[in-house]
Amino acid sequence: MSARVSPLREPLILGNKNYHQITEDICAPTERAPSRQWIIGFMIAVAGLGLYLFSVIWTVWNGIGSWNLNRTIGWGWDITNFVWWVGIGHAGTLISAILLLLRQKWRTGVNRAAEAMTIFAVICAGQFPIIHMGRVWMAIFIFPYPNTRGPLWPNFNSPLFWDVFAISTYFTVSLLFWYTGLVPDFATVRDRATGWRRKLYDNLAFGWTGSAKHWQRWEALSLVLAGISTPLVLSVHTIVSFDFATSVIPGWHTTIFPPYFVAGAIFSGFAMVQTLMLVVRKLFKLEDYITLQHVESMNKVIVLTGTIVGVAYLTELFIAWYSGYIYEQFAFYNRAMGIYWWSYFGMMLCNVLSPQIFWVKKYRRDLWVTFFMSIFINIGMWFERFVIIATTLARDYLPSSWSYYSPSWVEIGLFVGSLGLFFTCFLIFARIAPVVAIAEIKSILKTMGDQYTGVNALNKKHDDHDLHTEDAHGHH
Amino acid sequence: MKVYNKEILYGLYDDEVPLLRAVSAAQKSHLDIWDVFSPFPVHGLDPILGLEESRLHQAGFIFGMTGTATALGFMSWAFLKDWPIIFGNKPYWPLPSFIPVTFELTVLFASVGMVITFYTICGMGPGVKNPTLHDRITDDKFCIAFDVSGASAAEVEKYQSFFAKTGASEVTTKRI
Amino acid sequence: MRHNHFTFEAKQKNVFIGMMVIGLISLIWSYFDNTVPNHTRFWTNFLHNAAFFTGIGFAATFLIAAKITAYSGWHTVFKRLWEAYSLFLLVGLGLMGVVLVGVWGNLHHLYHWADVKAVAGDPILKGKASFLNKYWYTLATFGFVGVWYFFAQKFRKLSIEQDNASLDTRYPIYLTAKKWGAGFMPIAGFTSVAVIWQWLMSLDAHWYSTMYGWYTIASWVVSMIAITILMLIYLKSLGYYPQVSKEHLHDLGKYLFAFSIFWTYLWFSQYMLIWYANVGEETVYFRIRMGEFPILFYGNLVLNFVLPFLILIRNDTKRKTGSLGFIAAIVLFGHWIDFFQMAKIGPYKSALEHHAAAGHGASHGEATHGAVVADPHAATTAPKAAVHTEETAKTGHATPAPADAHVAHEAHEGLTVASDAHATPAKVDVMEPDNYFHYNPDLTPGFAFPGFLEIGTMLGFAGLFLFFVFGQLTKASLVPTNDPYLEETLHHHV
Repeated sequence: MSARVSPLREPLILGNKNYHQITEDICAPTERAPSRQWIIGFMIAVAGLGLYLFSVIWTVWNGIGSWNLNRTIGWGWDITNFVWWVGIGHAGTLISAILLLLRQKWRTGVNRAAEAMTIFAVICAGQFPIIHMGRVWMAIFIFPYPNTRGPLWPNFNSPLFWDVFAISTYFTVSLLFWYTGLVPDFATVRDRATGWRRKLYDNLAFGWTGSAKHWQRWEALSLVLAGISTPLVLSVHTIVSFDFATSVIPGWHTTIFPPYFVAGAIFSGFAMVQTLMLVVRKLFKLEDYITLQHVESMNKVIVLTGTIVGVAYLTELFIAWYSGYIYEQFAFYNRAMGIYWWSYFGMMLCNVLSPQIFWVKKYRRDLWVTFFMSIFINIGMWFERFVIIATTLARDYLPSSWSYYSPSWVEIGLFVGSLGLFFTCFLIFARIAPVVAIAEIKSILKTMGDQYTGVNALNKKHDDHDLHTEDAHGHH
Repeated sequence: MKVYNKEILYGLYDDEVPLLRAVSAAQKSHLDIWDVFSPFPVHGLDPILGLEESRLHQAGFIFGMTGTATALGFMSWAFLKDWPIIFGNKPYWPLPSFIPVTFELTVLFASVGMVITFYTICGMGPGVKNPTLHDRITDDKFCIAFDVSGASAAEVEKYQSFFAKTGASEVTTKRI
Repeated sequence: MRHNHFTFEAKQKNVFIGMMVIGLISLIWSYFDNTVPNHTRFWTNFLHNAAFFTGIGFAATFLIAAKITAYSGWHTVFKRLWEAYSLFLLVGLGLMGVVLVGVWGNLHHLYHWADVKAVAGDPILKGKASFLNKYWYTLATFGFVGVWYFFAQKFRKLSIEQDNASLDTRYPIYLTAKKWGAGFMPIAGFTSVAVIWQWLMSLDAHWYSTMYGWYTIASWVVSMIAITILMLIYLKSLGYYPQVSKEHLHDLGKYLFAFSIFWTYLWFSQYMLIWYANVGEETVYFRIRMGEFPILFYGNLVLNFVLPFLILIRNDTKRKTGSLGFIAAIVLFGHWIDFFQMAKIGPYKSALEHHAAAGHGASHGEATHGAVVADPHAATTAPKAAVHTEETAKTGHATPAPADAHVAHEAHEGLTVASDAHATPAKVDVMEPDNYFHYNPDLTPGFAFPGFLEIGTMLGFAGLFLFFVFGQLTKASLVPTNDPYLEETLHHHV
């Protein structure tokens, strides 16, 4: 950790906090009775969850026939939702892992909630392929286990099989990473709690004491997990992109899919983090920890990844023309000018054009603009997956099988309901666990607190040299 | 609840800078520190305290390689020995197809293995309750602890004066 | 700071000039090596190195812009190196200008699409003609690289202004640089791929891959990091840059590791998708490389993935100058090889094809390509046609005299790969999975692997690059004395 901080850096912790104040502020939401807004939000989320359960039961009871899929278009909203949720699930690991490796300190304010979001988004995502199987009790067939059907193994050549491993590994590793980060913070809440809450957090904290050796191992573990999560997060959406690049229409593919899917996933993930964090900071009064600086940084990532996605869209379009290969050319002509043209233009508008608004600093720091843009982007990224799946399938090689698809109420119910599932999980999490990583915030206080850096601190700095953590390196 | 059956004398400091100074001072005067506790990882503490670098990452590498071997070995066995089938005009041993699953299992084995190792060697885990010295250690206090079980009064006095000299804000004895 | 001013010593100058002389001799020599017609060896060597070193300039400019935009501080201590590389874009422009003159004057046959006769009989190339033409090539070379250079010198100017600025004005200068930096990112994103398509992807004029641009950029970036590591180690050994600590080298080592992995990721993604889909228009690229140029194909992976992965995965190897310098040199050479396989094989094949076609009066190759397009239902037979085309061409070259009969025989066989063009041609069905890893290596020096002339040419271009960079280093203090991140970079801890 570099102790000297450039005066150009803006503080990430406002309000002249000390360690104890940080504990008080961040633990508070878990300790006081739920606010009215939280209860209302929770009721709406649970209603959505109810709709989800109803739609799932309806699907399983009546079969996939209750959806509007047809012979030509075998993947519709279900797989679109799957990719959409997995994409959203990418920002958490990105913020915790990649930004940790890149030493971006602003991640500390948002990483905890983003990781939680990852877990819940992957939970939502993983259900769609399973529901899509129709006979959900057969889902175990996707795993290679010794079975009574002769030594018949799954097809290791199939990207869908790779995806089983990618998603389950991603979920497991994200969960471990997230929970290991939470343990010291659960201990903090535990040591403040009494009665049944003490017992609850006693269990959640796994017996954390804060010993120096444990911290050392904890840091080593976090770093290595970050190191291997970084290629993991890339691999997951890469493999999701393989689902489409190799399977959606056999033979149709475009090689830029892997990195472009990853960029798109980060893009939509950050948008969802923005949506959640803007609500959380308001609801739990955490404006001092999730500052405008955090919001602005995330908006910069959004404009960057949005533009990367834009480069990829145009590359695809251009190379389709350039290839001179008529099927490739038709695939892209069909996207922009075919029956689903509106979803292509929705995608372009929401993902490439509208985020360009964030070139203006004023809008990057405007909470309402940010909030609306984050929703807008999530709609756009949903369209992107719909374009790739439905548009492509609707016009395959055989004109006689060309078709059109629009969802039934069950499919819409599943999508809307999965939002309910997601928000139910998130709201419970926000009540039980500290939504900002307490220990990590404390470890950057001396470098990024507003009494130590930024405009307020500039003049003060020379006077109280003692507070400077260079002492920590024993130079005195 | 785990029981050490030890008499622990500990002092609390209000900031990491006095803690680091105190730890250095203790090392200089050859006081045998039992443990140091803090609300967050204090940088620069490990070398002063003489903690060896963690070897967790080496364990992780071995776990990861086990995952690689498991995935590659199993898929190769299934497709070459157990039930060779040609899918989609690919070779019997389609290496590019094996890469994704091999990578995922490498990561899975490495992370799960390392996390289990971490909790095991730290003596932590679901349902484990380790004794703590003070409730503010996970909040804003930095703690140096000495094991004084069966120590003479003179020794305890030495520790006490050390705490007084290095500016500990609170000094207590606790049996854990 | 005592050593903050760099002196470009006469000894170094002489060495670099010597390298350039070697390069010039190698180039001239290769011009007269006409084993492959149309001076292809000379022109591919020239293009290969010009594109490689110009790309390092681009990568430096891009990283400068990215670092400013991302509030990066740790690299500040050696940012003058990157600035010096970025200015090489101007020289690169001149070098690529030579290739451009060749395109206009029909001096070479690097680009199949520049051959008017070939395009006329080739529907695919005709379809691409509105992009693959002299005008676009000129725009990409002069226009886009010119824009890059404009930004590079802007960053440089602002950076030097900062050195002499007062405490009050250095922040506004930094903020101005940040605006330019942010502006460069999308411009670089859109233009770089277009330049790469023109310069390199169009060498295999029929082939296309959406990943190609990003893959090439990754290769440039890794090379740039490797050069930076080597340069810092060298300059430190001369007593410069005492401020560059193990911590900085460690971070650069991490960059080298991370970008090598990223490059491999892009390599694998591109390869896997093309292998999986098995669309002949695309597989031909890898079939030729795997089947006929295995040294380049596998060497590329060993040098750029296996070795850096195994060596840099440990922490201590990134902190020791010996191991870090060693792997940086390997990776730098490895990516030079990567560009070698990008720049050499396409023109080599098309030169032979062109020659064979000219020799027989009828254009076998073009006719085949034409057939692929004319019949849209031929999609599944495309790999056969494409492989056949290359085989035809190769045979035509290897045995010029009895070529006609031989070619006819090969054509009749359709999907066969002769294990030896002269001996009894063993019939191998390459589409049979068991024969997937079947090789028929071509071992022409200078094309299948770098010969002495290639190494000499590389030395020449490297000498030019270093001569230029050292010259630029003398023009400003080595460590920027007034950068707002100076304190951070001087006290950098990993």
